Amino acid sequence: MVKTSCGMCYGTCTVDVHLEDGIVSGIEGDPDSPQGYGNICAKGLSAPMMLYDPSRLNYPIVRTNPVKGIGVDPGWKRISWDEAMDLLTSKLKECMARDPRGLYTVGSPTFPAERAFNILSFRKAFGTPNYYTGGGGLHCGNGAHMIGGIYHASWSVIPDFKYTNLAIYWGCSKGHGAGHAANVAAKQAADAKARGMRLIVFDPFLSTQASTAEEWVPIKAGTDAAAALAMANLLVNEYGLYDADYLKWKTNAGYLIGPDGLYVRDKKTGVPLVWNTGTNKQDAFNSKGLKDMALEGDFEVSGVKCSPSFKILKEHLKKYTPQYASEICGVPANTLRRVAKDFGEEAKIGSTINIEGKVLPYRPVASIYFRGSQGHYNQAWDCMSLVLLNHFVGAADVPGGALAFGPPVHLGYPGTGKLKYSVEPDKDGLMVASNWPYAHLPYPPNEPKDPPQRLDLQDLFYIPTYTTIMAWENNEELWQKFKIPYRPDVMISFATNQIMSVGNPKTLFENFLKKFRFIASFNIYSTEFEEAAADLVLPDASFLERYSSATTFPTVGVSCHATGLGEWIWAIRQPVIQPMAERRPMVDVILELSERLGLHDKYLEAVREWVDRAYGGDIDLKKVFKPGEKLNFERLLDVIMKDRFGEDKGLEFFKEHGYLKWDKRVEEVYWRWFNDVRVPVYLEWIIRAGRKSKAVAEKYGVPDLVDWSAHTALPDWRPCPTHAEKDPEYDLEGFYWRSALHTYSMTMQNPWLDEVSQNDPYTYTIQVNAETAKRKGVKEGDYVWLENPKGSKARGRVHLTDGIRPDHVAIAANAGHWGKGLPRAKGKGVFFNELIEIDKEHTCPVSLGQDICVKLKLYKDGGARSG
Amino acid sequence: MVIDLKRCTSCHSCTVACKAEHHTPPGVFWAKVVRLESGKYPTVVRQALPLLCMNCKEPECEKVCPTGATKKRPDGIVIVDSKQCVGCRYCAVACPYGARNFSSDWTDYFTGEKKPSSEFAAHSKKKWMKESDKGVVSKCNFCVDRVEKGLKPACVNACPTEARTFGDLDDPESEVSQLIKKRRGMQLHPEYGTDASVYYLPAR
Repeated sequence: MVKTSCGMCYGTCTVDVHLEDGIVSGIEGDPDSPQGYGNICAKGLSAPMMLYDPSRLNYPIVRTNPVKGIGVDPGWKRISWDEAMDLLTSKLKECMARDPRGLYTVGSPTFPAERAFNILSFRKAFGTPNYYTGGGGLHCGNGAHMIGGIYHASWSVIPDFKYTNLAIYWGCSKGHGAGHAANVAAKQAADAKARGMRLIVFDPFLSTQASTAEEWVPIKAGTDAAAALAMANLLVNEYGLYDADYLKWKTNAGYLIGPDGLYVRDKKTGVPLVWNTGTNKQDAFNSKGLKDMALEGDFEVSGVKCSPSFKILKEHLKKYTPQYASEICGVPANTLRRVAKDFGEEAKIGSTINIEGKVLPYRPVASIYFRGSQGHYNQAWDCMSLVLLNHFVGAADVPGGALAFGPPVHLGYPGTGKLKYSVEPDKDGLMVASNWPYAHLPYPPNEPKDPPQRLDLQDLFYIPTYTTIMAWENNEELWQKFKIPYRPDVMISFATNQIMSVGNPKTLFENFLKKFRFIASFNIYSTEFEEAAADLVLPDASFLERYSSATTFPTVGVSCHATGLGEWIWAIRQPVIQPMAERRPMVDVILELSERLGLHDKYLEAVREWVDRAYGGDIDLKKVFKPGEKLNFERLLDVIMKDRFGEDKGLEFFKEHGYLKWDKRVEEVYWRWFNDVRVPVYLEWIIRAGRKSKAVAEKYGVPDLVDWSAHTALPDWRPCPTHAEKDPEYDLEGFYWRSALHTYSMTMQNPWLDEVSQNDPYTYTIQVNAETAKRKGVKEGDYVWLENPKGSKARGRVHLTDGIRPDHVAIAANAGHWGKGLPRAKGKGVFFNELIEIDKEHTCPVSLGQDICVKLKLYKDGGARSG
Repeated sequence: MVIDLKRCTSCHSCTVACKAEHHTPPGVFWAKVVRLESGKYPTVVRQALPLLCMNCKEPECEKVCPTGATKKRPDGIVIVDSKQCVGCRYCAVACPYGARNFSSDWTDYFTGEKKPSSEFAAHSKKKWMKESDKGVVSKCNFCVDRVEKGLKPACVNACPTEARTFGDLDDPESEVSQLIKKRRGMQLHPEYGTDASVYYLPAR
C-alpha cells in the first residue's frame, strides 16, 4: 500500500493505493486524513482506468503533417526521448536568441503544486512573462478570484459549514462533489444540512445543491448582481439590518469621499480621513483617540465637501428596488424581500460565540458565489455585489459566516514555526495578502507596465489572474500599437486542452495558436489541442507515477481545503508505480531542459522565490546544492520539507506517511477578527488604478481597449451582450454546469465514468424545460442544434426537465470530444465552448474574465432520433 | 444498510466503488443511482435514489431459483453461488428492484473484446471470473468478503457524504436500527412483502 494524494481533480484527497502483483488494484480514502476523511469519489476510484488506459501516450511523438488545424490529422511519428529533447532544446535556444519573451507557458489548473515547479519556475528562469492557465477562458474564475482576493485574501468564499445556519448559493454548488474541495466540502455540506443549515440556491437550473436545498430560486443567468444589490438596498435602506461596528472598524465605510470620488486625505500624512463623532472633526482612520466615526452625513474638511463612503454606497443602492431588480433577474420582488430579511435577521448582528475560550462575533449566514455567477461580462462587480451582503452584516471570516476558501493566515507549523504567513494593512488600512500564487497580489493594484510586456496585456491592468486578449481578432494591431517587439514563438503546455477549454476553438486557433513557430505539449493523452496545434508531444506521467510537493499548500490558490476548524495537512504525491513505458514526469524533463539551456542557477532562484512566496520563509537553494550538482526533484523536495518541518521530516518521512497534519488554530480560521485589516465596501482604489491603466492605453492610441467606465468604486449590475439580444429567434439563454462525475472533460475518456455518465439523464444531454420543448416540437432524446447569433453551433441530445427556467438551456461540463487520441470520450456530450466568443464584447472590462453567457436558438437536427 | 437521502448528492461514488471492488464488466451494475423528478416548474423536486440489492428477508429471487444457487445466509445476506447458477434469469424477473444483472461474458472496457487490453484489465478479469463465472446472474452481496473481514461494504466506505451506514438490523441498539427509528427509515415497496434490508432516511 502506498499513501499519496489523489490527482483526479484538484481536491487532492489522501488515498491509500493498493497493489497486487505490482498492479494498482484499488484505491480508498485514508480515514485519518483531514483531506477526504477517508471518503473517495467516483473520479478517484476510477484512477486505475486512467493509469492503464491503452490510449495513454507512452513515448514522444512528433508531427509530420506541416499543416495544423482543428480536425487535421497531425501524422504523429514516434521518436526517441533523445531526439525529442534535442528538438525541444534547439527550439528553445532559438527562441531565447530571438527574444525569451516569445515563450508562452501554459499550465493545468488541476495541479497547482506540479505547475509551480514545472511551468512557473521554468518560465521565470527562461525569462518570459507569458503564462496562462489552461482554462484561462471558460473555466477560469477571474471575477471570483479578484473579489475573493480583495475581500478575503483568498481564492473564493465558502460557508463555515460547522456554524452557518443560512447559506445563499449563487450559481455555485459547493458541496455537491465537484470543483473546489470536492470531497471534503461534500461531507461538510452534508453534515451542515443534517445539523439544520438552510440553503437557498439562486440558479437557472435545479442543480444538485438546489435539489437538496430548502428553496430553489430560478434566476436568469448573469443577473445575480441585480438581485443581490436589491437585497443589499433592502438591508441598509429599509430593514436597517447591517453591522455598523463591522463596517466602521473592518471596512472603509467611514472613510470620507470627496467630490472627485476619492478619499479625502490628511494633507501631511496622506492618511484617509473619517469623521470623528466624538470630537465632531475629521480624524485619521487609524487615529488612537478615535472611538466612533460617522457612517452617514455630509461634512466639510478644509473646504472640501465630503461624506462617508457608506453614505454614498447607501444612496447608490436606492435605484436597485426589488421591483427594478425583479424585472432584470426574473425573481419575484417579494422573494427578494423575503430572502433579504431572512438573511439579515439570521445574521444575529451583535451576537458572539465562545470558541476555545475566545469570544468572537457570531454571524451564521453566508452569501456564496462561484463559477456560475462569475461567468459574465460584469463578473468583477457581480461577485463584489454577492460578497457585499456578507460584509454588510459582518459575516466574513467569523464563526458562521462566509470564510476565505483557503485561509490566508497560517501561524506556522508548530514544530518549527515555519510555513508562516498572514495578512497586513497597507497605509490606507486595507488588507494586503502575503500569499497569492499568481502574477501579483490582488491588492494593492499592480502598477501598469508602460508599455505592457505580455501578449495578453495583463500587465497593463491590475487583475491578479489572466486574460484572453492575446486571442482577440485585433491582437496584431494591439501588439503593434503597444510596441510589443516580439511575437508568439514557442509554447510549452502542461496538461491542458486549450482547444476545448478556453472559448471558441476556431478563434483561439486562428488568432493565437497558429502564430506559434513551435508548440510542445506534455500530456497523458493526445487531445484535440495536440492534434490541432502541437509539434511535439511528450508523454507525461500521471499522478500515480510521479512526485509532487505540497498538494495542499499554499493554502491560497490550491483548491482543496476543508472549511473551518480541524487540521492542516501537508501532503505529497508520490509514485505508486514507476512510470509505465516511456512516460516521464514533466518536472524531470524541465530540470533536464534547465541544465541543457544553462538555466541551473536561474531555475533554483525561481524555485526559491516561489517557495518563499507560497510557503513562507527563505532557503538559498544555490547554497544548499553543491557546485556542479545536477538538478533533481526528489532532492529539491527533501530540502524544502526538511527546512519547513525539521531534519527528521524530509522526503523519506513523507514517502512513508504520505502527509503531516497539525491542528488549525482559532486565530487562523477566524483570522479577520485577530488582524487589524479593512476591506473596501467602496472600491476607491479601482478609480485610481483604472485611470492609470487607461492613461497607458491612451498613450499608445488604444483609448477604447475596454470600457473604462466600469473601473469605478461602486457596484452595479451590467448586462451581458446576450441580455441585449434583440432577435426573437435567439430565445434561450445557454449556460454550463459542473458534473460531479467529471473534472472538466478529460475524465470522459475514463470508461467507468463514461458508462455511468451515459446512464445518467443529465451528464451528456442538453437540459430543456418540458414546456419549452413542447413549444418547439422537441421530444426527449431528440438531437438538436444550439446556434448563437454568430452562427457557431453545438449539437446534442435533449433531456426534458421541469428543473430549469423555460427561457434557459443547460449543458453539463464541456464535453463533445472529437480527437482521435480520446476514443472513449469521442462524441460524448455537448461541446459548449464552441458557442463562446472570445472578443472584447465578451470580456469583463475590470477582471478581463470570459463571459460565458450565450443566447441561442434551438432547432431539431435533421438526423435520426435516438433514445 | 441505511441510506440517508438528505446527505446523498447523487455523485455516483457508490456506483463506481462497487465496480472497483467487484470488477464488474461493462453493463453490469450492482449499485447505481437513479434520479427521480416530480412536479411542474417551478415547483419541482428532484431526488436521487441509490439502488442496490435489498438483501430481502423474504427474497423473491430465492423462491424462484430452480437450482438453489441463490441462498440467504444466517446473517441475512443473500448470495448467488455462481457454480450452481445456470443463468436461467428467473430471479432477475422475480426481483422487484431490478437488482440482478446477467452478463454473458467478460469483455474489456476499452476494446469491448474478450482479451484484456492491459495488465489491470487482466487482473480485473481474473477477479470477476473468480467471483462470478460467465453466463450467470450476479448482484450486490453487501461485500460479504469485506464484511467477514470486519470491513464496511465498498460503497459505504467510499461515500463522500457518508450517507450510508451498515450494521445489524436485528440489534435494536445498533446504529442502523437507531437511525431507522429516529429518522423514520423506509423500505422500498414494503407492500411486496419482501422485507428489504435496505432502509432510506427521508430527504425532507
